[in-house]
Amino acid sequence: MRRYSTLGTIGWQVLICAIVLSVWQWGYDLRARLPWLVPDLLDPYFISKPSMIFDNFLIQSCLKSKLGVFNGWFNGEFAKCLTRNENNLWAATAITLKNTFFGFITGVVSGFVAGLILGRSDRLSAIFQPFITAVNSIPRIALAPIIVLAFGIGDMSKIVTSWIVVVFLVFFNTFEGARSIDEGFTNAARLLGASEWQITRTVVIPSTMAWVFASLTPAISFALIGVIVGEFIGAERGIGRLIIESEARGEASGMMIAVVVLMLVGVVLSAIIWRLQAYLLRWQRQRSAE
Amino acid sequence: MSALETSATTSPRASADRRVEVKGLSKSFQLAKTTIEAVRDVTFDVRRGEFVALLGPSGSGKSTVLNMIASLIRPTAGEILIDGKRVVSGRATPNVGYVFQRDTLFPWRTVADNIGYGLELSGVSARERKERIAECVARAGLRGFENAYPSALSGGMRQRAALMRTLIVEPQILLMDEPFGALDTHTKIDMHEVLLRIWEREQQTVLFVTHDLGEALTLADRIILFSARPGRIKDMFAVDFARARDAVKVRETPRYAELFQHIWHSLGEEFIKGRSA
Ligand SMILES: Nc1ncnc2c1ncn2[C@@H]1O[C@H](COP(=O)(O)OP(=O)(O)OP(=O)(O)O)[C@@H](O)[C@H]1O
Ligand SMILES: [Mg+2]
Repeated sequence: MRRYSTLGTIGWQVLICAIVLSVWQWGYDLRARLPWLVPDLLDPYFISKPSMIFDNFLIQSCLKSKLGVFNGWFNGEFAKCLTRNENNLWAATAITLKNTFFGFITGVVSGFVAGLILGRSDRLSAIFQPFITAVNSIPRIALAPIIVLAFGIGDMSKIVTSWIVVVFLVFFNTFEGARSIDEGFTNAARLLGASEWQITRTVVIPSTMAWVFASLTPAISFALIGVIVGEFIGAERGIGRLIIESEARGEASGMMIAVVVLMLVGVVLSAIIWRLQAYLLRWQRQRSAE
Repeated sequence: MSALETSATTSPRASADRRVEVKGLSKSFQLAKTTIEAVRDVTFDVRRGEFVALLGPSGSGKSTVLNMIASLIRPTAGEILIDGKRVVSGRATPNVGYVFQRDTLFPWRTVADNIGYGLELSGVSARERKERIAECVARAGLRGFENAYPSALSGGMRQRAALMRTLIVEPQILLMDEPFGALDTHTKIDMHEVLLRIWEREQQTVLFVTHDLGEALTLADRIILFSARPGRIKDMFAVDFARARDAVKVRETPRYAELFQHIWHSLGEEFIKGRSA
């Protein structure tokens, strides 16, 4: 692959952002003159405008009061604003992140363990095969209302929804990875005196890692989706709740703030996974790094 | 029968001296609807400290025999005794080391961690491990590559690392499946030197698979010649050069040429058969 200069790449990226934001901000103003060019969708009633979104962001995050005055950090206005609104942007983000985190971790751990066990045992995988196929063909997100009904509108239902979408993803990847281990490696280990447990620890897990990591980036977005859908259906706090409230008020900028926050959260979490992968799977990269 | 041939199955020595006994070993593979007979009724013994080469054309079942001795696959018929104890397939026999035909270094471990793997399994302390790894790294000429991953090594270096991974646990029986098959002639003879010095010191019992007659003559006390598929024992030859051998000089002796000539014809027939099979 040819290497393009980083500066050039960044230049293009900045340009693309500028174009998209400009169209978003001013595109609808052109409608008066060129009605055939501007689609209805650009109506700020639906998609708001970058400037309105930013303004609303400052208010929702308690950085600015509704009167348009900046809240002081030290005079207590900021703290007062936070306590006035239980589901302020910070609190909502924190709660959504927390539930995403628990859903993701429990999903990854249980999917990984189950995938390893079934992937290494022909007998168990034969027994569970039809059940797994059956459950896997349910669109898991369709279970969200049932889960909220069963676990209530608290955090638990969000974690469970998130868990159920993550666990299968990780399970299938781990399962495939454990099935496709090169027998040469397990034989070599066995002949060097490895017990079954040692083989699992030193051969099966490391060689399955690449497969597991391939599922983690989608898993983190799935975890987030699970939590948000759970919050749509019934919640008192969280970003999903913010979106629903803004929608009820017909306030596009409020929904857009939540969407942008979700995007940022997703990007940060993916970046963490990516860094972890680059470290744990560094053995895959040495050759290409020359 | 030539005077050069010996009958190894009727060893005059006591049975306690027989390290590996292979009796009537056969193996057939079921592939889709056809049955492939890989090995047919193979019987031989290996004495304690003996270096035996299994020589034969590609597909003559050499790897299959080694895999059965290593307990990796189950024979269709026959049995294998190691130190008088029956080999049970699926259960590794202690004291048996195997250098595979295919590269099986763990790609997720550095060279040093690959070599030290066996010691790690048996719980040798990190300090002692480090010392012994350093020794092996030096012997294999891999200094400076301790922290490299296998993907950054050449084929020859990988093979040396794999050899050391097996040798570090000091197995008394060594199964080697074309360990130097992928190396250039020069590196190969270097490796013969390395192996000969190790073997002289440790006196392991070695079963060495190869289809390179020169290699077999350089290293072995005895050559077992396999026929083309199905693999049977076609012949056995004693290789009676004095020990300690020099991997380069041994090739220059008249005796080497004589043995080479003698076995070459026998081997050539099998290669032709193997090709048409
Ligand atoms: N797992 C297997 N399944 C089916 N057939 C097999 C299997 N392993 C080996 N065979 C067949 O058995 C025969 C002997 O194979 P083997 O690998 O033992 O030969 P070899 O003498 O080691 O050859 P080479 O010198 O090329 O390594 C071959 O015809 C091969 O196709
Ligand atoms: Mg072979």
